[in-house]
Amino acid sequence: MRLYATLAGVVLSASAAHADPGRLLGDDTFAVHDGGPYILDAGLFAAQPAALPSGISTGLGAGVTRQCGCGLSYGLRASWSTESESSQTWVVTQWDMRLRGLVQLRHTAGRGILALRLGGGPTVVHEHRVRTQSERSGMTIESSSTALLPAADLEALVGLHVAGPWIAMIAVGPTVEVLDGNVRGGWIAQLTVGWQP
Amino acid sequence: MKRVLACIVIAGCGKLQGFSGDVPPLATIEVTATGSPPVNADLRVALVWGRQWLVEPLCLEGSGGLPLDPRDDPNAVAAVIAAGCRDPFGFVPARDAADAPLTIGMPASLELITLPGADVMVGDLTARVAYGSLVVYDDQNHDGTLNIAVPNRPPDFGGEGGGGGGGMGSGSDDTMTKDVVVGASFVTMLDRDTRVTYREGAFIQSGFYPRAGCDAPPPGFSIDAASGFTRQAAIDATLMGTVPQETDLSQCVQRAPATGPVTVALTTPSRTLQELACRERNTDSTVRYREPDAQAPDLTDRTTACVHHPSFGMPSDVIEFVVAGRTQDSCVGLTHYILKGCREGPDCGTPDWDHSLAPPSWWPC
Repeated sequence: MRLYATLAGVVLSASAAHADPGRLLGDDTFAVHDGGPYILDAGLFAAQPAALPSGISTGLGAGVTRQCGCGLSYGLRASWSTESESSQTWVVTQWDMRLRGLVQLRHTAGRGILALRLGGGPTVVHEHRVRTQSERSGMTIESSSTALLPAADLEALVGLHVAGPWIAMIAVGPTVEVLDGNVRGGWIAQLTVGWQP
Repeated sequence: MKRVLACIVIAGCGKLQGFSGDVPPLATIEVTATGSPPVNADLRVALVWGRQWLVEPLCLEGSGGLPLDPRDDPNAVAAVIAAGCRDPFGFVPARDAADAPLTIGMPASLELITLPGADVMVGDLTARVAYGSLVVYDDQNHDGTLNIAVPNRPPDFGGEGGGGGGGMGSGSDDTMTKDVVVGASFVTMLDRDTRVTYREGAFIQSGFYPRAGCDAPPPGFSIDAASGFTRQAAIDATLMGTVPQETDLSQCVQRAPATGPVTVALTTPSRTLQELACRERNTDSTVRYREPDAQAPDLTDRTTACVHHPSFGMPSDVIEFVVAGRTQDSCVGLTHYILKGCREGPDCGTPDWDHSLAPPSWWPC
């Protein structure tokens, strides 16, 4: 009986909210409308480390894209991620900063966005190594170095206009970097929230 | 951060190593040897971490630690102690940690890639220490490592060889080692020693190879020397519940490994030296006792004695049959048989075996 009373209360309050002119959600809240040419997005970033043989490098990514109106977009992206891995002799921490210029083929279907994104640019890798057990022995053995790797990414992007100017986007795809003269494959993934004013 | 920014501007500056590249040792210890090695010797030097181990009470009888039981044959007891007891103050090895070839007069480098394990460190997480001896040996089997053996027990309950040990330890332990020890930096606490020390946290003086009177070793790896103490000082200190003071404090040294090599003088191989290649099976220094089988154990080339169970209190009426190792064995050791009792000893409450009313026909005591 108490449950039914609670449910009735919820339904009545919902009805009252619907009738309230100062409500949070309007009829056009989820409507799709054409925004400007720019989309700014930021969110979570994950990738295979640029120069470590194992692990998942996690961090943040952000970007700006300008739509040309002809199914083609271009823009800039940046991401920062870090990962620590250890062996019997080393604990290695690397952070990767990926800076990309990109072009994007875009198709809009209702609320949805499908795109293929090709990016290119440098990946800055900073490495810090600590010799295992050396801190315990009182004589820390460590080294640091930084390198710049040419890289390219190809990402498939799925976006959804959720509400107003807000877009949820997922992008996943392969990446290649040139490390010590060798081409090295990997992957990247991003889960971001876009804003299209 | 400035360096990183500069790198971004300059583009590509450092070389990433990842897990590759040379592995720097945590410490490097240089050793030089003096003296004459055996002819055609394949000389090597090993860093051997020491084990905390107490000699069994019987081995202290007649040496000032415990009086001989007047009911026992003093000659037989002395013979079995001589044949089966290691130096109560000697360095007892636990593990070979590093090894390198050695040429007389030329320094050899021992590179320590790992820290000593918790099993060779004495103390708790806030204050623990490991001690090592630099052992020079003739690697007669040329396997590049100091082979550490265990005492050879008589075959137990019909088992083959002494390796099984009747529960004395792992059956895979070698009872023979071909390697011949010809010198060491730390042989016994009764002589001057130079030891490799690894200290973590604070330092608390304990009965683990004490250096009372000397300064505490510095944290991390160090080379420490001490003059040693006398047997009487050790007995007196034990009776007072403390540790013996070093005889000559001017010989105390605490230094970093990088400040110079450790010199080891080679000597004629001896049983005392060879004990540096002999470890003990049980880590808690307890004596394990055996139940006598109906069949006599193979006592060929073994020294035996019937002794009353050593006691620090009231004299015990329990008689043990004690068997030493064989003369050709690499390591000395004693095996104890009792007619009534348990693995832990004759005074274990409910005995696991009792042959006191009907001893085996071969029982000599």
